[in-house]
Amino acid sequence: MNPILLAVIIVSAIGLIAGLGLAIASKVMAVPVDEKAEKIRECLPGANCGACGFSGCDGYAEALSKGETTNTALCNPGGKDAAKAIAEITGLAAGEVIPKTAVVLCQGNKHNAEDKLIYSGIKSCAMASQVFGGPKACIYGCVGFGDCVKACPFDAISLCDGIARINPAKCHSCGVCINTCPKGIIKMLPVTEVKAAVLCNNHEKGAVTRKQCKAGCIGCMKCVKTCEVGAVSINNFCAEVDYEKCIGCGQCHEACPVKSIDILDMTHFMEYRSE
Amino acid sequence: MKYYLAIILTAILTENFVLSKFLGICPFLGVSKKLNTAAGMSLAVIFVMAMATAVTYPINKYLLEKNGLEYLQTIVFILVIAALVQLVEIILKKYIPSLYSALGIYLPLITTNCAVLGVVLLNVEKRAADPAFGFGASMFNSIGAGCGFMLAMVMFAGVRSKLESNDIPKFLQGLPITLIAASLVSVSFLGFGGIVDNIFG
Amino acid sequence: MAEKRSLGKEFSKGLLIENPVLRLVLGTCPTLATSTSMVNALGMGISVLIVLVCSNTVISLLRKVIPSKVRIPAYIVVIASFVTMVQMLVKAFVPTLNEALGVFLPLIVVNCIILGRAEAFAGKNSVIASAVDGVGMGIGFTMALLCMSTIRELFGNGTLLDGASTSILALFGVTKFNGVDVFAHLPIEPALIFILAPGGFFTFGLLMAFANKIAESKGKSKAELRGCASCPMAASCSLLLSGEKEDVLSKNPRAAVPAINSEEVAK
Repeated sequence: MNPILLAVIIVSAIGLIAGLGLAIASKVMAVPVDEKAEKIRECLPGANCGACGFSGCDGYAEALSKGETTNTALCNPGGKDAAKAIAEITGLAAGEVIPKTAVVLCQGNKHNAEDKLIYSGIKSCAMASQVFGGPKACIYGCVGFGDCVKACPFDAISLCDGIARINPAKCHSCGVCINTCPKGIIKMLPVTEVKAAVLCNNHEKGAVTRKQCKAGCIGCMKCVKTCEVGAVSINNFCAEVDYEKCIGCGQCHEACPVKSIDILDMTHFMEYRSE
Repeated sequence: MKYYLAIILTAILTENFVLSKFLGICPFLGVSKKLNTAAGMSLAVIFVMAMATAVTYPINKYLLEKNGLEYLQTIVFILVIAALVQLVEIILKKYIPSLYSALGIYLPLITTNCAVLGVVLLNVEKRAADPAFGFGASMFNSIGAGCGFMLAMVMFAGVRSKLESNDIPKFLQGLPITLIAASLVSVSFLGFGGIVDNIFG
Repeated sequence: MAEKRSLGKEFSKGLLIENPVLRLVLGTCPTLATSTSMVNALGMGISVLIVLVCSNTVISLLRKVIPSKVRIPAYIVVIASFVTMVQMLVKAFVPTLNEALGVFLPLIVVNCIILGRAEAFAGKNSVIASAVDGVGMGIGFTMALLCMSTIRELFGNGTLLDGASTSILALFGVTKFNGVDVFAHLPIEPALIFILAPGGFFTFGLLMAFANKIAESKGKSKAELRGCASCPMAASCSLLLSGEKEDVLSKNPRAAVPAINSEEVAK
């Protein structure tokens, strides 16, 4: 037989057999796919961050399609658009997503915080905080080895002079950093509102705090006294702000002797938030 | 028996696919971040390598070589491997969903993995050089190559987990330092050179 | 790729900005395996270039005919045909190259660069743009291979362009020149390890670090907030207030404020 013809026949025959086999196999062994879940999955950003409380984006999509949850606004990274798109597919009401950003509530940088030991182990916050609560004198503040920097799926966190700082323009409020931080000093705050925030978590008595960090809350009560709406309280030697009551007037910041309470105006970051 | 043992050990140690033959580097760098994904991927590779060899060996011997159409090897082999991978995916999805959810995401990656096509082509090459290298030897060689891939992946996953917690200069972070670590690991595999010949020689 | 880009840009992006090997990290296997000598690298680069241009063109021509469900197998068949052709050409005209590349010549089929470009570019763009993209990417691949092989051949074998007269260069009329033995007149021995596998990984790692450094210094054009401007607490930052700001800036250039200045934030 003509070798060229033979070659053509062999290749086409193998291709045909393979194609037919696959076609039959996919028909015979078809597994029903949840189309709704797949459509929902396409609306989600796919960061698999777990902020929604389900096992990744697939888990959330499945839960929505099966009706295990009716909340369409659980996806923080996807924000408003994802909520709207999911609502269209599922026929549920679109939930309101308040844009939030994670903030490291600590000012204990190299300038402010005192060290109590020289740590030369593995550069990880989780590891370092096992050793007498970390190298800094204050055991409540940011350890500064950047576990959150590594954990952030959106590259929004950087280390600035020994403490982590989160860029609200890049933060997708997924909450991975909050779960990573061994000190629990990262909190989620709304970006759209101008409110006061206590940039300290030190619960030692004032005199002790003073020795540990120049910017630590000493529990002097000045902010509590100046606040006109009664939004600030002192709990265990550290100030706390009730965000419902706070009007963002800034008087507490004026009164604070160590400037550990501050008005965070992050509204201008919103325009830099890219989709 | 000794012959087959020598083939397997050669494929795993001296001719390690990843570290001395440079086949399958993409998954080696991409999927070796965590131990469980590395192990899952390598298991899938071993499975597909063995299947591909079992199917392509008769095709090559009875269809292509008989008719003097060796030049069709590349195109026929890749066709068969692509179809095979897809078929395995469908079968796993239907009958062993638990295994599918563990290995499924790696299967499409394997179609374009040069290690699979590489092992099939190398088998053909070895058979051309040594006519005694039959079906059994080809199968052992493929499984050995897959195990070598697994050894490299699992070992390197360990190395990478240590890399994570180190202070690395900014421009070396990520792939560059990973490659340099891979270079050190492959130095250790250089040490295996000649060991198989000496054991079985 | 919705926006239209000029053909010149399609071509030049493959050379540096989107260099397939150093920036996109595609096709690492042949890069490591065939960069042991410059002539091998050149042969591999040209083979890939030919396959890439041909397959990009054909796939772009067929892009409206191929149903998206079976596009990957269809692409693979197209690519495999061209690879087989190139393989036969190399066997006939440059047998030394065929021996040196061995299994990596047919393995161009599964080279991620080719399938990746088919999937990411040729399947969506016009014929001419796809061909130009193929040329750019192919030359980028060849350049990266040449960079690596120059380092590896020089340090590992002490030569440059060794065996040029029997290589692919012979097709272009290079028959008398047979490489330079650089280390012959030096009192040092070449380090063989550079030609072996570890040297490949090492050189590739260093080259990639170098490429990262260049890309970093050029900076991304995308406007984004960085440094103190990105910090919600810059207003009360003790470093800014205590006048240590310049100090911080000089120590850590990333704290510089390119997008908006810090006074604006302070308000």
